Amino acid sequence: MEFTLLWAAFTAVGFSWLGIRLWSDRLPDHPLDRIIGAAVGGLFVGRLVAMMLQGINPLTNPLDILIVRGGVHTGAAAIGAIVAYLWAAKWNLAHLDATAPAVVLGLAGWHGGCLWRGACLGTASNLPWTWAEPGSAVTRHPVELYAALGLMAAAWLVSRLPWRLLTRAGTALALVGLVRLLTEPMRPSLTGGPVGWYLAAVVVGGLVVWLGPKLDKRLATQST
Amino acid sequence: MLKRSVVLVLILAACGGAAASGPDAPGDRPDLPVTTAAEFEALLADIDTPAVVNVWASWCLPCRSEAPLLNAAFEQYGDQIEFIGVNVTDNQTDAKAFLAEFGLEFDHYFDQNRQVPNFYGGIGIPITFFFAPNGELIKTHNGILDERTLALNVDELLKLGS
Repeated sequence: MEFTLLWAAFTAVGFSWLGIRLWSDRLPDHPLDRIIGAAVGGLFVGRLVAMMLQGINPLTNPLDILIVRGGVHTGAAAIGAIVAYLWAAKWNLAHLDATAPAVVLGLAGWHGGCLWRGACLGTASNLPWTWAEPGSAVTRHPVELYAALGLMAAAWLVSRLPWRLLTRAGTALALVGLVRLLTEPMRPSLTGGPVGWYLAAVVVGGLVVWLGPKLDKRLATQST
Repeated sequence: MLKRSVVLVLILAACGGAAASGPDAPGDRPDLPVTTAAEFEALLADIDTPAVVNVWASWCLPCRSEAPLLNAAFEQYGDQIEFIGVNVTDNQTDAKAFLAEFGLEFDHYFDQNRQVPNFYGGIGIPITFFFAPNGELIKTHNGILDERTLALNVDELLKLGS
């Protein structure tokens, strides 16, 4: 991993830590360890899937897994992170709600970490707050900072939601997808970006919010 | 548990091996043309579009990861930007096998002694140079390219060319 990515990762961890301090209600023990563990698990799965889609055999090229900059599959990483978290939390769904605001704030930190990586800029624009790459005259949207601000607002919003099973977690997933979806057109890409996965996050997040209370009732019925 | 592991290994092997068995066998390819720094500079000076020059080697792990990105960029912008590969500190057989594995269809040159990247001041491997029309060096990216970096620099070149 390159050092600039490492600094961005530290920023993400710092923001998650801040989220845990700000919104500490009902958190499980060692929340930051769980979040970091889930993030690493998600990165591993996302990188593995990206390698296979690029035609790189993970068995014959195992060290390629470390070249995170070579690409991480967004959807696989998100699913991997959620599964890793739930596994670590012994499938206690309520833990997802408790940590959701800190996770979203951590994602905001990851995007804000573009400042260390020199990777904030997106499509060209003449708006007054845009700036140019070093040596270039083309000013561009600081799209990663837009995403960071959007995710910070999302984290705050999620923290204000009522404690119904999966309401916070589902809303967090939907809002993260929405923020990425809204900023994607301003992000330079060769492939159009994983727009389908962002849409899926919005839809699945909405479904989770809707199904959560029903699932809660069913679980309560089963336990009595 | 053992059964699951075996199934996972088989799936990984199948997925990873799929791209390596294309119809374009390394032996079918002609040797890469050998170039020197002076010849390469003259080549770029004759090109009237912007150019992306990627320096790679078959033994370089990050080069494997960025090869699909370069292919995607070439397929999308190959009519507006010249894409050129420079294979360094390598041998013809391994270089051709790498090109066959990733199906890299743009032009590649062989530069055993790293004359080209040394001439333009690149460090390590991989390196990607971005040139204005007629060979003026605009930007050097040392290290692996990610999609955003490549897309953004391609966009810069397109704006330069328009």
